[in-house]
Amino acid sequence: MKRILYIFILSLFIGLLLPWSVNAQDEQLVVIGNAVSVPSEIDMNLLKSVFKGEKLRWNDGSIVNIALMKTSTPIGSYTSNKIYNMTGNELNKYFLALVFQGKVKAPTFFNSVNELEAYVAQTPGAIGVLQKVNDTLLKIILVDGKKQI
Amino acid sequence: MVNICKNLVLLISLVVWLGFNNQIFAQNTKIRGFIEANTSLQEDGLSFGFGEQVLFITSEINDNISFLGETVFKYVGDSINEFNVSIERIVIKYNYKGNHSVLFGKHHTPINYWNDSYNHGRVFFPTIGRPILFEAHIIPIHTTGIALQGQNLGKLKFGYNLMIGNGLASGDIKDNDKYKSITAALHIKPLDKLQLGLSYYNDVISEGTEVHNRHLVAEENITQQLLTGTVAYFGSKYEVLAEGTFATSKADALGRANAFISYLYAGVKIKEKWVPYFRIDNLSYQDDEFYFNNDNTTSFVTGLRYEINYLAVVKLEYQHSDRDILGHTNKLIAQIAIGF
Repeated sequence: MKRILYIFILSLFIGLLLPWSVNAQDEQLVVIGNAVSVPSEIDMNLLKSVFKGEKLRWNDGSIVNIALMKTSTPIGSYTSNKIYNMTGNELNKYFLALVFQGKVKAPTFFNSVNELEAYVAQTPGAIGVLQKVNDTLLKIILVDGKKQI
Repeated sequence: MVNICKNLVLLISLVVWLGFNNQIFAQNTKIRGFIEANTSLQEDGLSFGFGEQVLFITSEINDNISFLGETVFKYVGDSINEFNVSIERIVIKYNYKGNHSVLFGKHHTPINYWNDSYNHGRVFFPTIGRPILFEAHIIPIHTTGIALQGQNLGKLKFGYNLMIGNGLASGDIKDNDKYKSITAALHIKPLDKLQLGLSYYNDVISEGTEVHNRHLVAEENITQQLLTGTVAYFGSKYEVLAEGTFATSKADALGRANAFISYLYAGVKIKEKWVPYFRIDNLSYQDDEFYFNNDNTTSFVTGLRYEINYLAVVKLEYQHSDRDILGHTNKLIAQIAIGF
């Protein structure tokens, strides 16, 4: 009986830990871009600068359109932390302040991955971040030579 | 009948043309607002009130042209219906290349960080009120004119604003004299969340004109120059904002008067949402000051800010001011500021 109880508790413990380990492995981001204007490869510093709204236009002159998952979603929250080094709340405040100052065009925030992918696919100059890409035709941007960051 | 048909054809052609012109329908308009409610306790008792209600509109007309409008509705005791509507900003921006733009309209003069970054958006204010230099009418808050703007250029993220405008004592639709104001503001961001800035403002105020809503009067032609330095750091833990303005007023008969106006704000984020802070303001005028109200002032503010989220902020603050003319004041204020 003790042995069964021990196995049960051990299974429960492993079962509880497993999702955490899977999540940790899953916490990689993929940067996607529209086929027009967005470069195929970018370095991390420039990527952060683009996502912070510091670069208004791509090198060919077309406008930068930033696509993000809402900060209330797990991907959006993780993106805020990894790309911006901010909480979701800080990120929202950051962009609201810049829009208030008239300095940048606000990013477009999405509730679902499919909406974000469709926006990036259809909008020239659009760049977005996801955890994994469903649409295999979308252009994946290499960051420092890697597909995932 | 023929004319009606011609007009109809023209109208249909226009609609079809607009329908095929994506540039026209790329417009993206957003309307936001800001407001705050206050409670204050002073020597004369407890009061409740609300401040300005700000209507904030932005619109992306196409990839190059955008619009920003900021209109304030506020209580003004001496107006007919006790409320005024004022247009604070109307900015049409043309982004002509990269991070370079030309801006037309009525702007917040980019003369210091506070005026350029916050002005009427109290949800962004680090303290309840503006620094005292605003109520002392030291800086020209608005300029109607044209500006060249650049931002985040190069490794130091250099930015510039070069503005020519109607200047002090002018209205929003016409200059009151032949003199134009000139503003040149430069800044760099050498580190993440750190901004260092320097600005210069020059204008001539014509004799007899009333400036800053009739608070100041020029007894003769006065040349005014303002030189401002800024250090702003808003990190994830510490916040520092320090600005100093050296103001010089020159007139043929009255001579020259200098004033030095400064403030220092500092805050520490002790948890994600809690920020205790303080601010010290100082206004120092020469004895023979002839333009500004010669009311040397030292003020100390300390408070606690609780950020419910990015659209709602509560602050509790104690203010002590020591002024040469107006004397001492003590005030306890609570405020909730929201954006919507």
